Amino acid sequence: MQHTRRQWMVQHEWMVKPMKQTEWIQGEGVLVWLSEVFSSLGTGLYLVSIFLNNWWGALIGYFIVVGIKLPLHFVYLGRPFRFWRALPPFTGAWRTSWIARGFFFTTLYAGFGLIQLITSYLILYPTGLDSSVVNTIFVVDITAKILAGITVVLTAIYCGFMMSFCKSVPFWNTGMLPIVIMNAGIADGLALMIGVGLYFGGVDVMMLEAVTRILLLVNILLIATYLLNATYGTDTAKLSAKELISGKNALPFWVGVAIAGIAIPLAVSLAPYFMGEVSHSVQIFAIVCHTAGAFALKYCILNVGYYKPLLYSEMRK
Amino acid sequence: MKWGMVIDLAKCMRCHGCVAACRIEHFLPFSIAWVKLIAYEVEDKNVVDVTTYAVRCNQCKEAPCIDVCPTEATHRRDDGIVDINSDLCIGCRYCVIACPYQNRTFLSKDKLVNYFPNHAKTRFEKMREKKYPHQIGTTEKCNFCAERIDEGLPKGLKPGQDRAATPACVNTCQARALTFGDLDDPNSEVSKLIVERKATQLHADYGTDPSVYYVDGKIGGKSNIAPEDARTGSHIKEFSSVEKRAKEIFSQSK
Ligand code: SF4
Ligand code: SF4
Repeated sequence: MQHTRRQWMVQHEWMVKPMKQTEWIQGEGVLVWLSEVFSSLGTGLYLVSIFLNNWWGALIGYFIVVGIKLPLHFVYLGRPFRFWRALPPFTGAWRTSWIARGFFFTTLYAGFGLIQLITSYLILYPTGLDSSVVNTIFVVDITAKILAGITVVLTAIYCGFMMSFCKSVPFWNTGMLPIVIMNAGIADGLALMIGVGLYFGGVDVMMLEAVTRILLLVNILLIATYLLNATYGTDTAKLSAKELISGKNALPFWVGVAIAGIAIPLAVSLAPYFMGEVSHSVQIFAIVCHTAGAFALKYCILNVGYYKPLLYSEMRK
Repeated sequence: MKWGMVIDLAKCMRCHGCVAACRIEHFLPFSIAWVKLIAYEVEDKNVVDVTTYAVRCNQCKEAPCIDVCPTEATHRRDDGIVDINSDLCIGCRYCVIACPYQNRTFLSKDKLVNYFPNHAKTRFEKMREKKYPHQIGTTEKCNFCAERIDEGLPKGLKPGQDRAATPACVNTCQARALTFGDLDDPNSEVSKLIVERKATQLHADYGTDPSVYYVDGKIGGKSNIAPEDARTGSHIKEFSSVEKRAKEIFSQSK
């Protein structure tokens, strides 16, 4: 007997081929994408700023994380006003859940970062305080800097680990992803720091460009290895990599990540070797491109997250 | 006691009765299905057949959805059922992404639309608000009808044997393709089926150790064809519980 396709079954024609994750990129999912980008930009900038002792950079980095990243993620939650349930002592989930760890690290960072900003401000702009008070402030400042530094690094890396934990999405399920995201985040922070230096001064822009250059080169290496790794992985991971290189997401990948995010900032940072000092407007253009690249990178990674199908051709044999 | 299910793919006659029974039991919105029959095509000598594979939450013993949940809303009960406490769920959707079987659904506002858009709610939908309210902004999945088990056990009923304490999909299956019972009891029907029929788990390679097992019918193979009695329904001795349940609900809603 000849069987025909039955239309009524179509609704569950599902997971028989790689299916895209949509929760973290489509509709409200756009908020997750944006929050991850701002997390990367803010943590990177804050980290570089405390390293260089730049108060304004630290303030802007802190604001990006606490004032933009956190609210975006908060709004994304289906039940935002229950967010406290994800924090200890109300949950012990941080033992296994990267998102719980992320919320926890970010909350700690919000506290330590605020203390650091206040104490550093008091040190930078002393207001006739008693010397014993100033000494105490110094101690608190150093302690807060160390704690804020540790928690901001943890905040920066949790997004990568959160994604790489998902075995369901083979393209993410690799130890390379947190490294790619972390390195890109520091490079993004350095780029923004150059901007802060151009505006507020007090920063060795040449030195920052030299470090950015190295990080961008490392970025190229890491992204290439990550993609290569995926092409040697499962069929689903291969599909994701292929979609980035030559498929539907090739445009944001090549134009956004490769050209805007890496090639242009790299060319601008190398320009002084060949053409002497570059103008501020060119540097700002490079920073804007670099930042656009940060948006494109996260978009690409989230948008090519395919679930491994439940039934695939080999199983039918 | 660890509850488990065995699905006989060869017996399943693809009537979608389990999908409907689950919808009725849990008053599911139209856009959500906790139980699914995955449809796929089988081609043999140029004859294309569409067949199905029944899936629902596997109540994994090593469940990634539990590991990722930041609030412990998703938890494992003592009887092995992976349950969601909707009052704790913050709707982060991490579990939706982490479930390698894609058995979870986030209930967004647009998924809780009326069965007939631009028309009043049906009686069934009105009853949902009273009997099984679904919380928008949280995640849902099959729970092996934990409510029926919890109600039945204190009355001395045996899940898998007594209908009142057995999952709705198992009760309704006309082909008797679904068997439910205690995986810890070597004499239970499920345990015997698993041993005697060499049951397999869906993607045991994921390391999730599902509590749902499959017998017969290689996944997607031509052997996955319903036997004669399942196709004719000649073995059906009583009416589907879907019908009974529907009557019960409508009599209460008057
Ligand atoms: S099938 Fe998915 S939702 Fe169900 S227990 Fe396993 S991982 Fe969790
Ligand atoms: S959506 Fe709810 S059940 Fe799922 S991981 Fe988040 S809090 Fe847990």
